[in-house]
Amino acid sequence: MRFFAAAVLLAAASMSSVAAQPRGGVFPFPYEVVQLENGFRAYLIKAGAPGQIAYVSIVRTGSRDEVEPGKSGFAHFFEHMMFRGTAKYPLYDAETTKMGAFRNASTWADQTAYYLVANTEYLEKIIDIESDRFQNLKYAEPDFRTEAGAILGEYQQGAREPQRWLNEKVREAVFQTHTYRHTTIGFEADVRAMPNAYEYSKSFYERFYRPDNVVLVIAGDFDNAKARQLISKYYSGWKPGYKTAPIEAEPPQTAPRDATVKYPGRTLPILSVNYRAPEWNPTDRAGVALEVLGQVAFGPNSALSRKLVLEERRVQQLFPSFGLSRDPYVVSVQAMVSNPADVKGVESEIAAAVKRFQETPVDAKLLADTKSSLKYGFLMGMETAQDAAFAVMQVIVSTGRLEPIEDYYKTLEAITPEDIREAARKFLIDTGRTTITVVQEG
Amino acid sequence: MRNHIRLALAPVALFLGVAALHGAQAKPSVNPAPPRTIELREDGSPFIALNIWVRSGSAADPKGKEGLASLTAALLTGGATTQDSLEQILQKLYPMSAGYGASVDKEMSNITGRVHRDNLDAYYGLFRNAMLSPAFSDADFNRIKAQRMNFLERARRYSRDEELSKQLLFWAAYEGTPYQHPEEGYVDSVRSITLDDVRAFYKAHYPRNNIVVAVGGGLPAGFEARVRKDMDTLPEGTVAAIPAPAPTAPAGMKVVIVEKETDAAPVSFGFPIKLLRNDPDFVPLLIANSYFGEHRNSIGRLYQAIRETRGMNYGNYSYIEAFPAGYATQQPRVNVPRRSQLFEVWIRPISLTAPGNLHERTLFATKTALWELRQLAEKGMTPESVATSKEFLRNYVGTWGATISRRLGYAVDDAFYGTGKPGYLQSLKAAIDATTAEQVNAAIKKHLQADNMHMVVITADAAGFKQKLLSAAPTTITYAGQRSADLLAQDKIIGSYPLEVKDADVRILAIDKVFQ
Repeated sequence: MRFFAAAVLLAAASMSSVAAQPRGGVFPFPYEVVQLENGFRAYLIKAGAPGQIAYVSIVRTGSRDEVEPGKSGFAHFFEHMMFRGTAKYPLYDAETTKMGAFRNASTWADQTAYYLVANTEYLEKIIDIESDRFQNLKYAEPDFRTEAGAILGEYQQGAREPQRWLNEKVREAVFQTHTYRHTTIGFEADVRAMPNAYEYSKSFYERFYRPDNVVLVIAGDFDNAKARQLISKYYSGWKPGYKTAPIEAEPPQTAPRDATVKYPGRTLPILSVNYRAPEWNPTDRAGVALEVLGQVAFGPNSALSRKLVLEERRVQQLFPSFGLSRDPYVVSVQAMVSNPADVKGVESEIAAAVKRFQETPVDAKLLADTKSSLKYGFLMGMETAQDAAFAVMQVIVSTGRLEPIEDYYKTLEAITPEDIREAARKFLIDTGRTTITVVQEG
Repeated sequence: MRNHIRLALAPVALFLGVAALHGAQAKPSVNPAPPRTIELREDGSPFIALNIWVRSGSAADPKGKEGLASLTAALLTGGATTQDSLEQILQKLYPMSAGYGASVDKEMSNITGRVHRDNLDAYYGLFRNAMLSPAFSDADFNRIKAQRMNFLERARRYSRDEELSKQLLFWAAYEGTPYQHPEEGYVDSVRSITLDDVRAFYKAHYPRNNIVVAVGGGLPAGFEARVRKDMDTLPEGTVAAIPAPAPTAPAGMKVVIVEKETDAAPVSFGFPIKLLRNDPDFVPLLIANSYFGEHRNSIGRLYQAIRETRGMNYGNYSYIEAFPAGYATQQPRVNVPRRSQLFEVWIRPISLTAPGNLHERTLFATKTALWELRQLAEKGMTPESVATSKEFLRNYVGTWGATISRRLGYAVDDAFYGTGKPGYLQSLKAAIDATTAEQVNAAIKKHLQADNMHMVVITADAAGFKQKLLSAAPTTITYAGQRSADLLAQDKIIGSYPLEVKDADVRILAIDKVFQ
């Protein structure tokens, strides 16, 4: 927006559709979509600094799709294998090194994203290399086994953090059937067994790395017409064939659950109160209200935070995690408790805050401030081209498209104090609650 | 993006001894008289960044009060002002989704913030008050100190072993100098800090003549002058100069082993180098270091040898400038400029995988890194390797200034070092292009070696590791699958790499005594 007045809009014959986006919404950058007949979709966004592009390939598959027993952590492992080259470009790192590109990838529960930031002059080369590794990846078994060693190292570098112990326990306690039961890095036993899963890894690629399961975002400073033409040239031959993973839905929870984890290091107690939540949906008023509720009830400007953190200093840190996921997950509030004898007391304070929000509609100014905070948080989070691409990750992962981002902000704008109270009554209920406490062993 | 930047140095830019990156200076130096104001105007940008550079960092901590500079900055940015309670401040910041914070390194403290231009006026008022009229309340002090104590007693020792090993390397290398202690201090020193200590540090180190104002982004007219004028309401003061640390070069291998229950062992090693940004050898060595261990990149020799080929851990990197918290960021940190630097190698935790055992693998990875370093130090780089590294680095440095906060941070660092226009980041590409293979190899020869260094290892069974370290027995590595004959032959050479460590040069520390 800073550097470009409007998107360049030209028709391209080889594509089934090219659409321009009207301006005036919350999303601050002009963009257009390129849709290929094989199901592949690319968003071209004008954002960030002159002369640079961020190239982000979003595979709508993550640890959520690891349905087979013993294969937790595999989406992440596969992410590593994507850097092992193809017949055309056997040395992926060497090719991208020549460009001086900043490149990496990340795996989450719902997606795996591959990204490069590079000079615009390399646009065609990047499209060539990236489209090639998504269609023609090739690696030998010894390389596969070697990479498994690196994964174990990645697992272990964070294995002794109390937060890891907490996350694993929350998932295990909440989920019995859904794959959100395991973390993205996976169960340790599964990570150790990875070297033997070469054949399985090939089926992973076959099923999930398909044009109808991947969305490309190119953000930055580039020529749209050229990008459209190159996308068509390099991605049109990619055969569709995405196979949805048979993920079992989690049955409703019927009673509160509690568990304590003994951590074999030094930590203050960490209390985590979790509630079952709906899936992310940009037009679902109740779900969006729940996200807002997390901020108003437990955020840095909440009455509870002022009381527990600032005035009474009973809690060192209080933070809400109320972002929703592609499938129903949990929302949670986490507190690091100053005095180990006060864990139950803090738990009661959180319960009392929940009750207040179920009974009394939120103050109108606080709600307006929260909407403003969310809006400016969104805008402030899009300084660079890469930021802009990452800011639309959730909507693309959940819906496969970027356009509904505007629906989300319309829904957010319409949220009333009564919606917040309804969300508290609907979701922050005892039967959907799981309370996990991490305490120091001994 | 850089052609949108106008660097205005006002009003009297005293660039004494300014040197461009290839300027010829006899020895490492920094700028004794930086400008009072730095402005990076980027018209049209919706973002505005502030960076108040206080020219005192943790090196200015009084003895026994280590951590005071850091705690003072934390209290300024996390406490009430005489105008507003903390509650009011948080309420006002909330709808802007903005905040301000502090970072403290050895030589500088930076109070920084970023805001959308829609909210600049309301935001700046709060920011200014935090700098000029902190309330220094008991409640804020007690809360922030308690959080800090929790970090020192628990989180620092029981979260990221690899970060701890890196901090311990600096602690060992800078023993007896103002650079020795970690910026957050020690358990006992922070415990002894009172609110009066904080008030006294603020009074001594935050006078107007010790403060540089840096602002950037879509600035309204006159904004930089307004901020400077506000900061000039602080009193004048005399800040005692701290001599630049002159770390002693270690003779042989000095090893610290931390005993801790763990199943993966990180290793850090390094030694002081006499090289800062303005030195003519700097860019040549930056190229060599990129070849050897570019941070969080798969192209380095270390990464290739230990992770990519042998699958022993998650990554291995090297540095010629301080790079704290490297696990959290891919780009170099700004505002950690120093008058003394180490050459540093970071080996991420070595996995315990069957077959083999932890000590054997840790030692093998360490020997691999040392062997690679010796190859580099003794044989240098081929012209082809230099060309490849240059080709990478010349574009890669273009990604280091992605945000206005980072560009402003680099401008502050330029003022610290006295780097002339157009600035370090802006000069790098041309400086890299102009560097020859001969210059790279001369810099390697002059600054790198593999014999004398400090080393830190965090591991279970420290005594067992020490024994293995002192033993002359070859180290072996076992793989899960078939490996090439060439690799196995090279493994034999590396396994027999002699580590000449003396018993008296090995210290074992219990984890609960680290940074006590």
